[in-house]
Amino acid sequence: MTDDRHTQFDAECRAAGLTLSGRDRELLFDMWVDWLPHRDRLRAEVPAPEEEPWR
Amino acid sequence: MALSVADLDLRGVSEALGRREVTSVQATEEYLGRIAQHDRVLQSYITVMADHALARAKAADAEAERGRRRGPLHGVPIGLKDLIAVAGVRMTSGSQLYADHVATRDAFVTRRLHDAGAVILGKLAMHEWAFGRPATEGAFPTGRNPWDVRRAPSGSSSGSAVAAAAGLCAGALGSDTGGSIRGPAAMTGLVGHKPTYGLVSRSGVLPMCWSLDHVGPMTRGVWDSAALLQIIAGVDPDDTSTRGAQVQDYLGTVEAGARGLRLGVLRRFYVDVPGLHADVRAAALTAFDVLRAEGATLTDVDAPTLDLSMAAWAPFLAETYEYHARNLRERPEGYRESLRPRVYMGALFTGADYLRAQRLRERFRREVDALFERVDLLVFPGQMAPALRFEDFPTTGLATASMRYTAPWNLLGLPAVVVPCGVSGEGLPVSIQIVGRAFDDATVLRLARAYERVTDWHTRRPDPATWRL
Repeated sequence: MTDDRHTQFDAECRAAGLTLSGRDRELLFDMWVDWLPHRDRLRAEVPAPEEEPWR
Repeated sequence: MALSVADLDLRGVSEALGRREVTSVQATEEYLGRIAQHDRVLQSYITVMADHALARAKAADAEAERGRRRGPLHGVPIGLKDLIAVAGVRMTSGSQLYADHVATRDAFVTRRLHDAGAVILGKLAMHEWAFGRPATEGAFPTGRNPWDVRRAPSGSSSGSAVAAAAGLCAGALGSDTGGSIRGPAAMTGLVGHKPTYGLVSRSGVLPMCWSLDHVGPMTRGVWDSAALLQIIAGVDPDDTSTRGAQVQDYLGTVEAGARGLRLGVLRRFYVDVPGLHADVRAAALTAFDVLRAEGATLTDVDAPTLDLSMAAWAPFLAETYEYHARNLRERPEGYRESLRPRVYMGALFTGADYLRAQRLRERFRREVDALFERVDLLVFPGQMAPALRFEDFPTTGLATASMRYTAPWNLLGLPAVVVPCGVSGEGLPVSIQIVGRAFDDATVLRLARAYERVTDWHTRRPDPATWRL
């Protein structure tokens, strides 16, 4: 599970153009793991068509 | 000088100046003396502008001698969070990267304060780039809570809160992206007002997230915040978000009382939650009873999208990352280790995440607009818990538990004020929060003042005898 998560995390960092190592990578990984449940909720939401982006 | 301005709120200082019981130079010298005496422990100032302040104070006194008083801020010493520019003065944003950065021109709000005759005492400590963690070490410590110096005042406008609460200035300005005015104000027993987005210009103010940043007052009393807002609100061609600014008569309506106001209590999301500190809950419920006794009606209301508000807030960190990306790449050592991952986090949101957040923000707006057809204001506890010890702050993460009390209202840009409503069992301040309709900051301040004038929490002061390590 942790290995899978690290693999996914590293892939997302690469996609974002981040090349981190050591403590920065460790701390960002912890923060990213904390954020995942919120992101899952965000991505699971299906806004109605009239819910256009805030302008 | 028999009168000590340090015991007064901003209104008291303003009135004492108006009655000539004290001069601006005397008031400024007293604050400067207190800074020299106490700020080694409290760590609330990054730059003390003693010469600048005394020159301004002298000019304010000379004008008053000639019979000209510009208004309630004339000669009143104020502090500014160190991301608000004062021309010719260092502006660090609490960052080593900007340790020697000198602002070339005044921020809009600085100009307004100067024009109103206010005296800028100095630049106040803050969490690094308005997003770092509390720190007691290093070049830019973030300030100690005057109610218990082993505790943080929260942030990011930490120095603004400490200085105003400890009587090291008559009032301060802070900024608020997810709670950075209201959080520290709540933790230090102050009134903290995040004005409507677009009411106060951010030009000359270093950003955290352009879409969510607000500048506002942090003071001992509600009148004080109204007086500051009256001066700093208004259209600024250099900040397009202020194009539609609607300025009200905040001082003229602040004493109108609570009678007839319809209040919605966001009970499910903010009161009936297991994490809410028992002392905060009890104080808030008592405060609601006080508001009812003052003639307001209270009804429980809900906005289901509050559950998604932190998920919708976080993707805006993409804005923070965009601002810092180049410096992070080229000078990562210029950022504290604790801040770097928080900023990098902004790179991990996709464009689709950001737009999904914008769409949920719109859903949330519609829900709250519907509530405002039934009630005039929303009320709820101002914080999850009283001030934490420095060592209890999480090393990473977004502090979503505590930010749920503040950040949703940045998403909507609505006016929100915290006002002290009690103390915890450990003697730490706790607050309620009041949220109003866009550009109806006057009604928010009116209810806060209605509560304040029948309670005495705002008159309590931290004890300088405890300011030792």
